[in-house]
Amino acid sequence: MFDFLAGAGLFLAGGVVSIFAKEKTKAVIFLLFAVAAQFFILPEIIATLLSGGYLAMPVYFSQPIGEASLQLDPLASLFALIISVGSFLTSVYSIGYTKMYVGKRASLSAYYFFLGLMAFSMLLLVVAQNAILFLILWEIMSISSFFLVAFENGKEDVRKASLYYFVAMQIGAAFLIAAFAWASAASGSLDFNSFTSVLSNSGNVSILLFILFFIGFGTKAGFIPMHTWLPRAHPAAPTGVSALMSGVMIKLGIYGILRILLIAKVPDYRIAYGVLLVSLFTGIYGIMNAIAQQDIKRLLAYSSIENIGIIGMGIGVGMLGLVYNNPVVAILGFLGGTLHVMNHFIFKSTLFYGSGVVYSQTHTRTMDRLGGLTRYLPLTSSMFVISSLAITGLPLFNGFVGEFAIYLGLAKSFSMNTLPMVVAALIGFSGLAFIGAMALLCFTKVFGVCFLGSPRTKYKSVPNEKERTLLIPMGILTVFMIGIGFFPWFAVMLVKNVVLQFMPVGSLPFFQEILPTFGMFSTVLIAFVGLFLFFLGLRTLLLRNRKVTVFKTWDCGYQVGSSRVQYTSSSFAQPFLRLVAEFVPQGIDIEKEPVLFPVGASLESHTQDLSERFVFRPLVAFLNKSLNMFSWIQSGRMQQYILYGLIFLVFLLVWIFGIR
Amino acid sequence: MVQATAEILIIISPFFFIGLINKVKAIWAGRRGAPIFQPYYDFFKLLGKGEVISGTTSFVFRVTPSITIAAVLFALMMVPLPMFGSVLHFDGDFVMFAYLLGLAKFMTVLAALDTGSSFEGMGASREATYSTIVETAFFIVIGSVGLLTHHSSFDTIFGAVNMAAAYTPLVKILLVASLFIMLLAEGSRVPVDDPNTHLELTMIHEVMILDYSGPDLAFIQYAAALKMTIISMLMADLLVPSHAALVPALTLFTGILVFVFVSVGAVESLIARTRISHVPQFLFLMTTLSLTAFAVVAFFLFGGIK
Repeated sequence: MFDFLAGAGLFLAGGVVSIFAKEKTKAVIFLLFAVAAQFFILPEIIATLLSGGYLAMPVYFSQPIGEASLQLDPLASLFALIISVGSFLTSVYSIGYTKMYVGKRASLSAYYFFLGLMAFSMLLLVVAQNAILFLILWEIMSISSFFLVAFENGKEDVRKASLYYFVAMQIGAAFLIAAFAWASAASGSLDFNSFTSVLSNSGNVSILLFILFFIGFGTKAGFIPMHTWLPRAHPAAPTGVSALMSGVMIKLGIYGILRILLIAKVPDYRIAYGVLLVSLFTGIYGIMNAIAQQDIKRLLAYSSIENIGIIGMGIGVGMLGLVYNNPVVAILGFLGGTLHVMNHFIFKSTLFYGSGVVYSQTHTRTMDRLGGLTRYLPLTSSMFVISSLAITGLPLFNGFVGEFAIYLGLAKSFSMNTLPMVVAALIGFSGLAFIGAMALLCFTKVFGVCFLGSPRTKYKSVPNEKERTLLIPMGILTVFMIGIGFFPWFAVMLVKNVVLQFMPVGSLPFFQEILPTFGMFSTVLIAFVGLFLFFLGLRTLLLRNRKVTVFKTWDCGYQVGSSRVQYTSSSFAQPFLRLVAEFVPQGIDIEKEPVLFPVGASLESHTQDLSERFVFRPLVAFLNKSLNMFSWIQSGRMQQYILYGLIFLVFLLVWIFGIR
Repeated sequence: MVQATAEILIIISPFFFIGLINKVKAIWAGRRGAPIFQPYYDFFKLLGKGEVISGTTSFVFRVTPSITIAAVLFALMMVPLPMFGSVLHFDGDFVMFAYLLGLAKFMTVLAALDTGSSFEGMGASREATYSTIVETAFFIVIGSVGLLTHHSSFDTIFGAVNMAAAYTPLVKILLVASLFIMLLAEGSRVPVDDPNTHLELTMIHEVMILDYSGPDLAFIQYAAALKMTIISMLMADLLVPSHAALVPALTLFTGILVFVFVSVGAVESLIARTRISHVPQFLFLMTTLSLTAFAVVAFFLFGGIK
């Protein structure tokens, strides 16, 4: 436990020390601290994950926290693992990425300080077992990430996005504060373990509490309709931070939900169905909107919403398995959910890092201006295509493993003798397939449009991969994508104890029952690659002594084609978007000169987020209107405000003495 | 031994079925038509040729045909034969089955975009769009048989699908009809797509592979034909009674395959390709049929009617 805390402290220390370092050396100094932190943190959390043991430590703070216990269990360890590794990779990536900003107006001191603070608060967050300590750390995490999003605050849209993010986080936190306050008041203690008595019964209080917790944590994670901050904040943040936020920070929302579930032990059946359905809609809605995007980072942000949905579906299946006392289904659900937490961190970080390489070389995030990048960025593009395959959940790479577990869990639910469960299983089963097929559309679009074909506009400078520090984090993660894809058994064993934490004692045999399937993958996939190489070899052999002509693309006899006639991301998505036009409304603004022979015209298409349009705009409008009724309170005269204070103090005095 | 022979015969057969479709269409149109083994001659002709490759393309274009053919062959191994079961089976193998075909599709779409041709982009976009409908419906089909048999592997599902209750014929008809639509969509046949009208703006699969030639094209065409065979095998698996003796079962199985492909030819002779904007409506029919099948199973299992 001490090593873990020391490691977390090292991240903070790295942030503080780098303030005093020279502009150019800040990145390296922070990296040194981040590397040192790994040596302290990783052994302890991997030991906890593999052994399934608990490490606990009481800490004494002054009021209002009081005595708080820090506890490192497998669940905390899994999230600590991705926090620690994710922060380390981002600090490697930042070396190359922040070079652009050296000597500019942007403050690198703030960047590294808040990066360190964010890593520190996230690491402590997962071990905190005290409501107030948890909330304080939660706020530190939100605020430090807010400052990171606002890094390029010279830009108008970055300022707007970061403020939007800040407000969204505070709304989420308000729900959490309410939930924790209620739970503490009802249980009489701030300690998480004492909440069991409040949360585990099936009364209305526990359901309401769970909904409050779900909204609070779900705002961070990005469940609909609270997801609207993601597609704004992710594009605005520096890429390393986007990767950290999308790969790691939003998972802490999932962590919160899992922690509450762990405290509650057996969930109510209504909550379980609710989680499954909300997650399914989150997944479908997220990927549908992702398809419509033209900004690559906005697209990746929506795709994170989709993946949060998939993780939530795993958790939902697990909860339903617990509710209906079917351990195999429950294990498969939680296994799928936790594996996907890890897997999404791996491939989404890679995708964000890759998009950062593209941005740093082409200075645009608009996919319709890109194309043909495989020629200039061979390493980035091969890692990008692997992560695209992984995020689509296709076999050979890690994304398949988690989704497979969820599919199997749902398939096994068909043999349960409960009609609602069977129907829910079918909705989940086909819904997950729908999400998968849409992910295929989405990521063939991203990779196909940005990296393949030929450039749609001329690049100002020739894109290159000279900055190796941008590639190293992607390389490390790609190794894991392939490794977990081919040998999922290891990943399953890594999260085994996390899954078993959610299960009643004595569930190990059921876990062992499903293990062979994952062991089988390795053989199947290696044989598949063998067959693929056989055909590739056959092709080479056949073409050995023959003429292979390199010519231009067949253009149906039309000789004056240009790279502008290629399919763009918008045209690629158009047939699908027309099918789902009700759910992803497209707005098109056309500007024409009202003359007979117009010279210039412009067309702009954009998508609207239904949740903003139908949930938040009306809500804000309502609040504006109703709060306006109290606007007479705000007179702007100092004397009047002092009077308010006085009245409040008198009221307080009367109240306190009145009670005595 | 018999199983190995049967599997090898299946691996050889796809082009025969394609030839069969063409023959049916020819006879229907009053022509004599190409020999039934013509696709084989084409296949070997292509294997013996060189290639013309677009200079715009990258490594994606070159590896795609080999990945496609390997993925489809692997998918074949998970489809059971009557009496023998499948070569490769494990819990949830249908997910691997669907996702291997998905891998092939992913790469084909990318290869189409790799050429930078607007035609191929068009085909790629349509292929990806329609697969969102077909894929979802296919999982409803699996869900229905999963609910019917309470199993979670192709092998055990199709082993048990015939043992079930008296209402199964209705479910089977619905599911076979559903799979037939999938066959037309995934095999790029009329009314979803027309494999004969090269270079038209209405194409889906054929337009994606415009830039392929030589052995690569041979691989792709074989993979496409095998994919159709696999889907028709699933239909036959649903229909062949698992308690029949070996010889009648295999005969019936082959008979169903032949019948399915003759029907594909008949459909192509009888109806025209639908307008591209109406294709989704046709594909949603597959969703409706499979959902009905699921509803029937759920109704009989939970409705208390035996």
